[in-house]
Amino acid sequence: MGHAAVRRYVAIFLAALLALAGVLLGLWWAPFVIGVALGALDRRARIVVPPGAAIGLIAWAIPLAAVHIQYGLGPTTRSLAAIMGFDHQGVLPVVLTLLVGTLLGATGAWLASAGRSALTSARTGT
Amino acid sequence: MTAVAPRRRRAKLPLLNLVGAAIVSAAVLYVSFFPVAGLPALGAAFNPTTGAWTMAADAQVTDRMLHLSGLQQPVRVVLEKDGTAHVTARTDHDLFVATGYVHAKFRLFQMDLLRRQGAGRLSEIVGKVALDTDRFELQLGLLRTAELEWAQLPASDPLRDALLAYAQGVNDRITEAESTHQLDAMFTLLGYHPQPWTPVDSLLVKGDMTQTLNFTDTPLVMALLNKSLGTDLASEWFPILPPNQQAPYDPGPYGKVEPPQGIATMTAMTDAQSASAQAVYERLAALPAGLVSKGGASNNWAVAGAKSASGGALLAGDPHLHLTLPAIWFQLTQESPGFHTSGVSIPGTPGVLIGHNQHIAWSLTDAQNQQTFFYMEKEDSKTHPGMYFWNGAWRKYITVSYQIPVLGGATEHLTVKWSVHGPVISERGQTTSVWWSGNLPSQDLGVLMNAGRASNWQEFREALRGWYSPTHNFVYADDKGNIGLISAGYYPQVAKGQPWMPMPGTGEYDVTGTIPYDDIPQAYNPPDGIIWSANQRQVTSSYPYYIGTASNFFDPGYRANEIHRVLSQPGKLSASDMQALQTDTHDFLASEIVPVLLQSLSKEQLTPQESTIVQLLRNWDFRMEINSSAATIWSYFYGWYVYEVFNPWWKSRAVPVEMQEISDTLDQDLEAWTLHDPSNRAFSAPGVGSRSAADAQRAAFHKMIPQIAKDLGKDPNSWTWGRVHLRVLENLAEVKGLNYGPRPDRGDGRTPLAAGDYPSTHGPSWRMVVDWGSGTFQGIYPGGQSENPASDWYMDRVDTWFAGRLNPMLTAEQAVAAGGIRTWDMRP
Repeated sequence: MGHAAVRRYVAIFLAALLALAGVLLGLWWAPFVIGVALGALDRRARIVVPPGAAIGLIAWAIPLAAVHIQYGLGPTTRSLAAIMGFDHQGVLPVVLTLLVGTLLGATGAWLASAGRSALTSARTGT
Repeated sequence: MTAVAPRRRRAKLPLLNLVGAAIVSAAVLYVSFFPVAGLPALGAAFNPTTGAWTMAADAQVTDRMLHLSGLQQPVRVVLEKDGTAHVTARTDHDLFVATGYVHAKFRLFQMDLLRRQGAGRLSEIVGKVALDTDRFELQLGLLRTAELEWAQLPASDPLRDALLAYAQGVNDRITEAESTHQLDAMFTLLGYHPQPWTPVDSLLVKGDMTQTLNFTDTPLVMALLNKSLGTDLASEWFPILPPNQQAPYDPGPYGKVEPPQGIATMTAMTDAQSASAQAVYERLAALPAGLVSKGGASNNWAVAGAKSASGGALLAGDPHLHLTLPAIWFQLTQESPGFHTSGVSIPGTPGVLIGHNQHIAWSLTDAQNQQTFFYMEKEDSKTHPGMYFWNGAWRKYITVSYQIPVLGGATEHLTVKWSVHGPVISERGQTTSVWWSGNLPSQDLGVLMNAGRASNWQEFREALRGWYSPTHNFVYADDKGNIGLISAGYYPQVAKGQPWMPMPGTGEYDVTGTIPYDDIPQAYNPPDGIIWSANQRQVTSSYPYYIGTASNFFDPGYRANEIHRVLSQPGKLSASDMQALQTDTHDFLASEIVPVLLQSLSKEQLTPQESTIVQLLRNWDFRMEINSSAATIWSYFYGWYVYEVFNPWWKSRAVPVEMQEISDTLDQDLEAWTLHDPSNRAFSAPGVGSRSAADAQRAAFHKMIPQIAKDLGKDPNSWTWGRVHLRVLENLAEVKGLNYGPRPDRGDGRTPLAAGDYPSTHGPSWRMVVDWGSGTFQGIYPGGQSENPASDWYMDRVDTWFAGRLNPMLTAEQAVAAGGIRTWDMRP
């Protein structure tokens, strides 16, 4: 693994930590902001969107896992499913939650990389 | 040309990519921040640290040390294994601060819903679906009344400090919950934050209960019956005094001997009056269930020490209400210099409503007297626009304006007109206003607090002198072996007219006052040592005041008759007898009618299936038990019998009121005629020819069988009651997935274990049994202390309640000794 790759993984790891810290502080939209920052580093969506998604997933999944370890999520997931009309299918609120976190990170990264790409294209005329 | 095109496409791709990313990002952010298509704002609602997942942490209750800004001294709260709270404070002020905190910790969303309902602010959180409810509540005037009550409360009144302290405690919890992101998940999912609690909110919650229990549309129903059936039949079938045999608890003699003055016999209504009644009736009928009282159902009774096995007085009470999750009740004890009460409270109000203190115990049933009167205002829009004629002069309506915020819509502007009688609730054709005792500013919460501090009958009775509405039958038993019952509250009296129908609003028919306190129904230490109420008419036909008609004000009396039958049997009674009577499924009406039916069928040629049915009825003990097939047969039969007798009249006279709505009265009529007047003209309806009660019974019997067979199969032995009679505890926020049930249950609408309707959603909302001889206090309500569905205390008491068992009502010391407690040390 070259230095560039190591730097990239370290950057992603730090970004994930930052997003996680934001979520733990109640800033649930932090993965989107971090995703934007990540996306701004590279105009290639295929390079930044997967890590952006992973950051969003991690930032929302770890606190959820912590809630589960500390209190147990069973009754809560079933209750949320009932409230949402999912007939006690407790897995659905979990999936929905992780999906929202993932999408926040992924769309942030995609938006910023697309913006950078468009900006570069406009400058170079290609 | 062909060489340039690919380059242009490449140049456009980044732009298209950006547009696509922007659109998708905007969509994700939008659904994360804002509710869409019935879903909450997904980001705010489902993030794991501040979203609805916090209900998992909220469900865990641990030992705590916390600071409340409203406290003067330290307070200790002990929570039993089932969440029953014991609040011990060094000042009365602190007691109510801590009670407010505890209520809000476990029931804040329920409290917010209750105050929003009374204040007409439900649309703000659920949208226009609640707009009709909000309009009606603001018209009816709960908010106005609550504000008047607060404004009129003297600065020196202890209730004032209690309400302020209670609000402080609620607000301490709101502040804490917001800072720790532990607001109830429903706030998160609905996307709003609770406003600070105020004393007016507590008064609104009390107003909600008053409305649920005694705002009725009965005069409108009577007007429609009068117009469609005709005055002669209406007055015969819907009389003032009950047509059947009942068991009043106060047999007299009464303090005043003259008959009611000025109360007319029923006379015909004009077309205009009828049209007006129809308009208002339709308006009220379109409202959600619970806003208009449809008759009460509660039991309470007491047994004097002399008739008790323990030697001490016994008391039992089970108020019947809409059974919800969370329940209307929250169980607690309150210990302070001024209060030593244990029982159930309504979240949103500071005191114990039903329970006991060191010397007395009490419980309530609805007294059912008429507290709603409709007035047709006289207007002349040409010569006196915006005015009404009253007491010889034209008067201006008072107008009050309200803004109703609507989620996802424009704010609704509402102007409410008030005449001297009360708010105008319909202007379709005839302007109609309503006089409702719930609109009389009162200090009922203070009255309850004083009653809870009484130590003997005299103090208890005196405390209730100020009680207004809803009128309640307050049963009483003390540690000296005494028992009593007083139907305290406001008994509106009119100068003349027909108060059971809408009356002219010109002044002559106004409410002039109430019955003197010494003359209201009451009894103390009756000679037979028993006393009881179950929403029946409390007094005999010689009672000299008008208090309402038999039609849908008072209960038909079957539960009261059964309770009286059991209590009046020879021998001593024990607490376990009280418990058994609370779950008694003996249908008093069935015990009267089934023998008559069997006699009517005795000479019939029966099929084998019919013979089986008859045999099941013959062997039946008249108990509505889950495994009883006869119970099902009886229920079907009486429904068909009522239909057989009355439906031809309904069709031929085009009666616009559903029979179901007045079934209590029709049941009484049919009972009385079957037993004492079997050739009553009602049996010979238009189109069916001359016939007797027995003919109608036989017809109903033969017609019901195909219906049951269609519903339940051919074998009568398999027609068990539990297959058709189910009970549901409904989630307060109407989330069906958080309901309990449906579950087969015993009882019916006429048994002491009340369970009317299919499925049954009303019933004993709290059962309490007190035995002063042994010093035991027991109680149970269906549900649990927490509104959080993820909590172990959401519905942990339900199975015990279904089984008819009771939990001990412990003191704080007993709870600590029992173990398994959590303790909250509260500091200023």
